[in-house]
Amino acid sequence: MQFFWRLVSVSFRQETTYRTAMWAGLATNLFFGLLKAALITALYAGKGEVNALSFGGAITFVGLTQALIAFHRLFGSTDLMTTVYSGQVATDLLRPVGLYPFWMARELGRSLFNLMGRGILYMVFFRMFFPLQFPCSLLQWMTFMISVSLAWFVSFSWNFLVNLVSFWTTDGRGVARIAYTLSQFLSGFIMPLALLPDWFSRLCSWTPFPAIVNTPVEVYLGMHHGSELIWLLVLQVVWFLVLAGVGHLVLQAGLRRLVIQGG
Amino acid sequence: MLRLLLIYIKLLSIQIRSQMQYRVSFLLEVISTALLNGMYFASLALVLERFGQIAGWKLGEIAFLAGMAETSFATMDMLFSGFDPDGFSPMVRLGRFDQILLRPINITLQVFGSRFIIRRLGRILEGVTILVISFALTDIQWTIGKMLYLPVVFISQVIAMGSLFVVGGTLIFWTVQPIEAVNIVTYGGTELMTYPMNIYPGWIQRFFTYVIPFVFMNFYPALYFLNKPDPLNFPSFAPFLSPFAALSMLLLAMVFWRFGINHYQSTGS
Repeated sequence: MQFFWRLVSVSFRQETTYRTAMWAGLATNLFFGLLKAALITALYAGKGEVNALSFGGAITFVGLTQALIAFHRLFGSTDLMTTVYSGQVATDLLRPVGLYPFWMARELGRSLFNLMGRGILYMVFFRMFFPLQFPCSLLQWMTFMISVSLAWFVSFSWNFLVNLVSFWTTDGRGVARIAYTLSQFLSGFIMPLALLPDWFSRLCSWTPFPAIVNTPVEVYLGMHHGSELIWLLVLQVVWFLVLAGVGHLVLQAGLRRLVIQGG
Repeated sequence: MLRLLLIYIKLLSIQIRSQMQYRVSFLLEVISTALLNGMYFASLALVLERFGQIAGWKLGEIAFLAGMAETSFATMDMLFSGFDPDGFSPMVRLGRFDQILLRPINITLQVFGSRFIIRRLGRILEGVTILVISFALTDIQWTIGKMLYLPVVFISQVIAMGSLFVVGGTLIFWTVQPIEAVNIVTYGGTELMTYPMNIYPGWIQRFFTYVIPFVFMNFYPALYFLNKPDPLNFPSFAPFLSPFAALSMLLLAMVFWRFGINHYQSTGS
């Protein structure tokens, strides 16, 4: 466990070296956030609320999803895939920690840096252009923290699973592109699920993806209470366990057929 | 001139042949690219099911904006990808640009022909599909003028977006690494063109009118094709400025490109 936290802190410090990339990413996210907020404003056109999502809530939704991009790696990652293709994975397998916790530690360190650099800082900048809503009680803040942390685990286990495709095909990147676009679409990242037709958001709720974006943001906005709220959090745990379990099984199967080319 | 054209065709045909080696994989890539890019428009269409319109623009009219912007961006991305900062950066960094300078053929032409990605056909396919949806949903009163002007607008958009790629590529001479801010105007600018201009805050509108004249590329021509009133109160010739704006952008970009080549210093690798 101590080794795990060592890895987290190394990866955190590694990420701090890429500060120029951080500012550049921040600027890009900000521009796209502004475009989307303008679109939401035009769609609402003075309406106070649409399908239980208030106008202020929808604007906050846009800001928060952009702030989560780097923390959750919503555009996906292909780092593990790259090590499989380069052969680096062979070295990583020799380490005194399994591949799953190894990558989880690396991603966690990186995400914790981005939580500050591209998350909290983003909200500060976004606030300069648009009014933001904040949770109005300590309890709401705490449930959001729990939900966004669970969302991170769901997102990580999904990204890990997608990367495993590289054990079977040399064109893993093509598959990853499809998988990540699908998860962005169904998670509520492209548009809040409340604004999509009911039949569509019901379809989404059968997938693990709303647990990554839509759930934590709706919890932040205080749109759910009581047993409904608890059910959403439980669902996040369930999806993490399912994806992590499947990921673990697939990893074992993949390792059995892994061939390292050359040296 | 003819000689240059022949060289260009030759450069492209080499790349097309090499990329067509894996036919099934190529086809799958084209189809998946089309579907992936289509997903963004699909989500907009789904949202419009609830709202009906954006600032007075119905789905079919938004589809006109989106279809035009997607088709031109994808075409540009295919033709100008030699200048794409993300591809041109390794060219300079690894010293491959030095090789180009040594050959007795026009430098600009070689960069033009250095990268041609036919997978981008997928996004063109997607853009054209959205445009067809738009024609089906709106009843554009086609006149001879409109029919002749549509290809002009398309070419103008390709040139305008391509000019930004040339500028972004030229900056690589000094920075070596691609600059993220360039992506904001190229990719962000295309996203911006997908929606009616009047939904944006004033400073964004002014930037994309006076600094980068994207407003004349898609929004104003669309007003003309769809017979919509102008919410921004520009003179009535505004829809016809797109070829002029595009050509001046290309001219400035090419002057900057020449300037960049003259100040090029190899990275030494």
